[in-house]
Amino acid sequence: MTGILEGKTALVTGGRGGIGHAIVARFLREGARVYAADLTPQGSLAEHDDDGSQFVKLDVTQEADAIAAMERVQAETGKLDILVNAAGIEIEKTIEETTLDEWNRSFAVNCTGTFLTSKYALPLMRTAAKSGASASIINFGSYDGFIADPGLAAYCATKGAVHALTRAMACDHGPEGIRVNAICPGYVDTPMLQSFFTGDGSGGGGKTIDQLQQAVRDVHPMRTYGTPDDIANLVNWLASDEARYASGQLWVLDGGLSAQVQQMRL
Amino acid sequence: MRLVGKTAFVTGGRQGIGRGIVDAFRAEGAAVATCGRGARPEGLDDSVTWYELDVADAKAVLAIAELTSGTDILVNNAGVQVEKTVVDSTDADWDLVMGANCRGVFNMCRAFIPAMPQGGSIINIGSISGKVADPSMALYNASKAFVHGLTRSIAVDHGPGVRCNAICPGWIETGMLEAGFDLSNDPQAARADALARHATRRFGKPADIAAMAVWLASDEAAFATGQLFTIDGGMTAASPINTGLF
Repeated sequence: MTGILEGKTALVTGGRGGIGHAIVARFLREGARVYAADLTPQGSLAEHDDDGSQFVKLDVTQEADAIAAMERVQAETGKLDILVNAAGIEIEKTIEETTLDEWNRSFAVNCTGTFLTSKYALPLMRTAAKSGASASIINFGSYDGFIADPGLAAYCATKGAVHALTRAMACDHGPEGIRVNAICPGYVDTPMLQSFFTGDGSGGGGKTIDQLQQAVRDVHPMRTYGTPDDIANLVNWLASDEARYASGQLWVLDGGLSAQVQQMRL
Repeated sequence: MRLVGKTAFVTGGRQGIGRGIVDAFRAEGAAVATCGRGARPEGLDDSVTWYELDVADAKAVLAIAELTSGTDILVNNAGVQVEKTVVDSTDADWDLVMGANCRGVFNMCRAFIPAMPQGGSIINIGSISGKVADPSMALYNASKAFVHGLTRSIAVDHGPGVRCNAICPGWIETGMLEAGFDLSNDPQAARADALARHATRRFGKPADIAAMAVWLASDEAAFATGQLFTIDGGMTAASPINTGLF
């Protein structure tokens, strides 16, 4: 069976994290050559899974790392069709509790990381676009860039910034054949979400983690939260040539969570 | 006083938000008329003109527009609410909700705009429910989204003579809100939960909405048009998931 990304080269930052890993796996199944970029081969996963992707050590906050990663892609494939900026961190604090260091770190990973990786990927993506098919950048926004979760101030702000950056990049690089979109996930079962449930931000109210998770599922119109594969499904479509007219948009994927008003217990 | 020398017409001024706007406009010096289905309500200030009018009735609306020709400020507040899903809604429900909330706003705007003086201001009452869905309020939610779309169209088509904006209220303290809590198994807990979802830790009052209506009606808002102004105590700025409340 031929995949819909046959012949394409992709690089996924945070490629060994919860959502990034699922995207890498999906891209591989669709026939792409995939670079999984992360801090370590294991990333935030419980163990390293040798999935067939090419591991690239990339700290997205470091300009030298971004340059080196793209030099390697240049040397090995000469082009980059797909870039997914999935690396991200979440600090669970209000602005009063957030230190300047944590604030800067949030922006460094979530915004500057998207900026740097994209900046140095662009020449390779222009080359890819010369084939006639558009190249595709997929950023990670969040439904938190539209509405706030309590105690996640820096995270909400970085995601709002990514949304605006997405539109700006789409505007600037569309004429070069490069599409830019953002995926805005709601609650997705990842190490980041599990850390949220066990962290101080969970509230808890005497409930077990299982009860808390069920309560969160129940607020969703679909009565569940998402899996990394749900996100990978849309990323895959946006990466493919089927999405050749899709650019500059923020794609919310949240089981209907943000389509509703607050769900009071009445 | 910010509305001296202006005339205003507020639909649905019998009670709640409409009455709040009538009172605020009057306090700011406007000459105010209002309307509703039925007789003049008790307690309405003598200076306020009352018209018996169903806004869904195009002919009746046109007759009132002729009587009040040259109105500076039109507030389309009259509206009804039916609490049903699409599957449960009847044709009569459709006629009722769309008649008042959509056709009513259309009737009023179509009849009043031609005689509105330069600098006229139309204020439609939309809703947060036109942006995000309240459960089991299908026709109401959709009718308010219609109001939001019409607001932008009027602003675009009838500027620079007339400005048109919408206010999107959240939960406002009215008899309807209290009745909702009373239906709950534990009205006190329901009220506390709902309050905790508001950054202001209180519900809105008709005066909160009226305060924005006064500003939008005034010349201070001369550059504001085509926009939706949400006044909801911060409720829709927050995610529906608030694990602190679980």
